Amino acid sequence: MSEKPKRFKLEPKQLRIYGIGGAIIGIYLAHFLNAATGTNIFSFIGSLAAIGGVLWGANAIRRICSYGLGTGVPAMGMLALGMATVASLFGLNIAEQFGVGILGPIIALAYSLLFGYVIGILCNKVMHFNIPIMEEGMFDISGAGTLAILGWSITLSGTLSYNMIVKDVYSTGFLAIIFILGGMAIFHPFNANLGPDEKQDRTLVDGIMVAGLAMIALGICSLATLGLSAALVTIVVGFAVWYYDYIWYFRLAKEDAAAVVGTGLLPPSVQ
Amino acid sequence: MITFDAQTIVYMLEIVVGSLLVSVGVHFVPVGGAPAAMAQATGIGTGTVTLAAGSGLTGLLACGLMMSVTDNIWPILASGAIGSMIMMDATMLTGDFIYSYAVGCPYASAKVNYDPITGFSQPPYVAPGTVGQGIPTVCFVTGTIGALLGGVGGAMIYFPCNMISHNPAQAAVFTIGIFFVHSVIPSWNIQGTIEGFHDPKFKKWPFAYKASLIAGILLAIMTVLIQPLGGA
Repeated sequence: MSEKPKRFKLEPKQLRIYGIGGAIIGIYLAHFLNAATGTNIFSFIGSLAAIGGVLWGANAIRRICSYGLGTGVPAMGMLALGMATVASLFGLNIAEQFGVGILGPIIALAYSLLFGYVIGILCNKVMHFNIPIMEEGMFDISGAGTLAILGWSITLSGTLSYNMIVKDVYSTGFLAIIFILGGMAIFHPFNANLGPDEKQDRTLVDGIMVAGLAMIALGICSLATLGLSAALVTIVVGFAVWYYDYIWYFRLAKEDAAAVVGTGLLPPSVQ
Repeated sequence: MITFDAQTIVYMLEIVVGSLLVSVGVHFVPVGGAPAAMAQATGIGTGTVTLAAGSGLTGLLACGLMMSVTDNIWPILASGAIGSMIMMDATMLTGDFIYSYAVGCPYASAKVNYDPITGFSQPPYVAPGTVGQGIPTVCFVTGTIGALLGGVGGAMIYFPCNMISHNPAQAAVFTIGIFFVHSVIPSWNIQGTIEGFHDPKFKKWPFAYKASLIAGILLAIMTVLIQPLGGA
């Protein structure tokens, strides 16, 4: 535990590219590998793809919320996921109605980005927020939420098909888990780390950690939809992601702390 | 393929009106946030989103149950409203028990000198350094009105979603998504805390109304265009 943790610093633009690129590639990779091999054990890649969305969203939240909106940080995460639940299913459905089912995630992403941007404009122009990065930030969190929901949905359904996603994710009610855990992964990092000493790498590593926990939970859910083998792979990979980032986060927190002191064992109770 | 007829427009209008009701309803609910949880401000001691989730989900449960036996919109709206009003009133009542018997503070509003409903004087009871404590009568009444609007709004969003998709789970998820968007927008408008219709911040509701109108139209377009595909 004593070695120096890796540190990084990423620009919002870089994170946006990594987020969109990583998540879209991951979603398609999970879909095509499953389709090509005729199994569903590659579904876990969907959850890894969602981490791209989570990083993008968590960074956007830390940028907007450092302005102070009056409400808590969780409101932002819930707004992102609220927009994303509607946009993600809309994209998949419209794509299949036009016979290009495979473009679903792109349409969902495009519509959610547009919607997020409009909400940002409304906040600044109608409600007079006057936060310069509001449009950009809402654009980011809306897209990030959509990619995260799509990634996690693939973990549960194993395919991008609209009917399968409705059957496995929406009708079973597992979307509620995605909604809350996804919201947690996006808003919790900044909520837990905010303050004058907030550092980007610590916040984002926390985000990956929560995404790993979400992955374990969705692995347990996918026992019901995909069967034992796919679920076990998701749970094991999720645990690995969580463990690696937990240790990383612990070292970062230790390094950033003013002092680390041992409190010793609990004192004997004084009665 | 996409079907678009008069019925679709009616569904769209219902979603937009529901969104506006939710958005205005949030302005009525006495949200106190963290200061209220420490009995340093008037209202319910939690954030808008948590309250919206609580009363919205209870209303959703009530109207979903009603919708499983009838397709008539009026009993569905009524049960949604009653479900969410019961939840909000139960929260405020138990909150008041805690403020009264555990924290030990009188209920007082710092925003008005006299309670508009009971006419009781407020300033003598406001502890120095705080902006009121507990949930006085006027806040209780305005909270119930807010829950009524929110419940009717939520049911009005749920009804068309379910009529389009014929899938209660999917409709519920959509309603929650739309509900959250329209509860976060007004809660930013009131900057997180409000006492109810007697609060000066209540006058800002037209801003949230306009913002919710545009956001509601965009969400309604998305929702009505989603058609069930064969095999679902």
